[in-house]
Amino acid sequence: MRLAVLGLALLLASPVLIRPAAAQPASQADAARAMAERAEEESVLAEGEGRSETFGYCTACHNTALIRRSRFSRAQWDGLMDWMTERHGMNPLEGEFRDLIVDYLARHYGPSQSRARNPFLN
Amino acid sequence: MVRRIERSVQELYRDDPERADALAFGRRGALKGAALAAMGGAVGAAIPFGGSMPQGTLPALFSRPAAAQSGGPALLDLPGKGPLILQGERPLNAETPETLLDEPVTSARNMFIRNNGGVPDAAADPRAWKLVVEGEVNQRLELTVGELEARFPVITRQLQLECGGNGRAFYQPQARGNQWGNGAISNGEWTGVRLRDVLNAAGLKSSAVATGHYGADPHLSNEPGRPAIARGMRIAKAMEEDTLLAFRLNGAAIPQLHGAPLRLVTPGWPGSLSQKWLTRIWVRDKPHDGPGMGGTSYRVPVRPIVPGSSNNGRDFADLESMPVRAILSSHAHGARLPAGTRALDLRGAAWAGDLTVRAVHVSVDFGASWTAMQVADPANRHAWQRWTGRVALPSDGYYEVWYRATDSEGRMQPHAPPNWNPQGYGGNPISRAAILVG
Repeated sequence: MRLAVLGLALLLASPVLIRPAAAQPASQADAARAMAERAEEESVLAEGEGRSETFGYCTACHNTALIRRSRFSRAQWDGLMDWMTERHGMNPLEGEFRDLIVDYLARHYGPSQSRARNPFLN
Repeated sequence: MVRRIERSVQELYRDDPERADALAFGRRGALKGAALAAMGGAVGAAIPFGGSMPQGTLPALFSRPAAAQSGGPALLDLPGKGPLILQGERPLNAETPETLLDEPVTSARNMFIRNNGGVPDAAADPRAWKLVVEGEVNQRLELTVGELEARFPVITRQLQLECGGNGRAFYQPQARGNQWGNGAISNGEWTGVRLRDVLNAAGLKSSAVATGHYGADPHLSNEPGRPAIARGMRIAKAMEEDTLLAFRLNGAAIPQLHGAPLRLVTPGWPGSLSQKWLTRIWVRDKPHDGPGMGGTSYRVPVRPIVPGSSNNGRDFADLESMPVRAILSSHAHGARLPAGTRALDLRGAAWAGDLTVRAVHVSVDFGASWTAMQVADPANRHAWQRWTGRVALPSDGYYEVWYRATDSEGRMQPHAPPNWNPQGYGGNPISRAAILVG
């Protein structure tokens, strides 16, 4: 994959493309919207208890890339729920429903590598 | 020069992932003796300078973000845009691979994309787009793009535009947000009028201490009237001569994705201060408090905190001038070069927020020795600086190109990302690209 990138890099670095004079596409907003609205299947997330609820609740605002790229502890995921409510107006998540989602996220999108114990945190 | 390569280091490595994983993450202590030989086996070549690898350092091909992900990153496919690394579709964010930043002036095509909300529809009549300037001013102004261009001096500058979270992926534990490597940077040639000329025309009251910026992009929730982001800066930066209200990029209309028909360009400071689809500047009598201000957003600890700890950011300070950073644009991480290659002709760019770059150094022996590169002057203040240089290789094998810039005040990129914070701002460690010769 990186090879493809490098190959393209070589092509794109050619002088004729450095200052494109061509008219910009009028459809960037449409294309961006189409990307944003591209239907995602729930199965893009790791299988497990709470997946449907997590998928449904989170994708009301953003797609699953934000989840899939993340590797957070349970405490960090939990804090993120409050942050999204406080900063982005998400409906507050509470009680068992919150636990279901946070547990799911921590179980499947937890810290990726075991690291040395942090003497300041543990 | 780089030639087209057939197999990457990662592909060699992928032939035996289990063994590589064991080597990369299961080993203990320094890479020495048999472990070093085994690691050399895993990367598909001897590691000529392996003896000087710092203890606990993983070869870059195992540890570098995005580029080192198995299967490679998803690439953007969108009209008018190059194959950027897709960070997410909603909101739409995409990073420019360092090798696509080989152009001295970044093309619109290769400019990274950062959104907090949605992308608004293009204006039917861009010249009629209105900007309101109000708040702590003597006279509220309402100016169209056409009026801005007619009424104020129009200037053109090459300006760094860098996401405040550039380098976030280097933090461990992981920090919240897009996992940018070094590629959330651009150096476009922007044309517009100075924000200060417009603020002077409105007349700043003595109470004016900060700006607040608003754009037309909808919040992700589509809640009407809720800004996706609305940040602001201290008035001194707003009054700087390179802070522009821009309406052209590289001599053409700004692409819709990049904020047409009017955006701020606030070079050297977090890109979130370069509000796209700009509609309103609110001059404030206190630091702005819109979404994206306060807490841990675009803010860094004044007193360093324990990595991974939670913190509400109350005692943090706004990230302002961005830290020094270099990119390598001539060679991709994972490039394979022909056997017998004994020198690398390298090039890239470096920048340092409001400062300039004094030096760029490269090491191919894990930091044991450093070679000075030639660093060109910036095209103008706040433009990035291009660098070139040659390093020698003693043999075939696995190398890492470590590249490090030093700013005009003598601060270098550190060996590890400094000052960990929950949202990962200011991550500018020395970067490493894996190269295989033979």
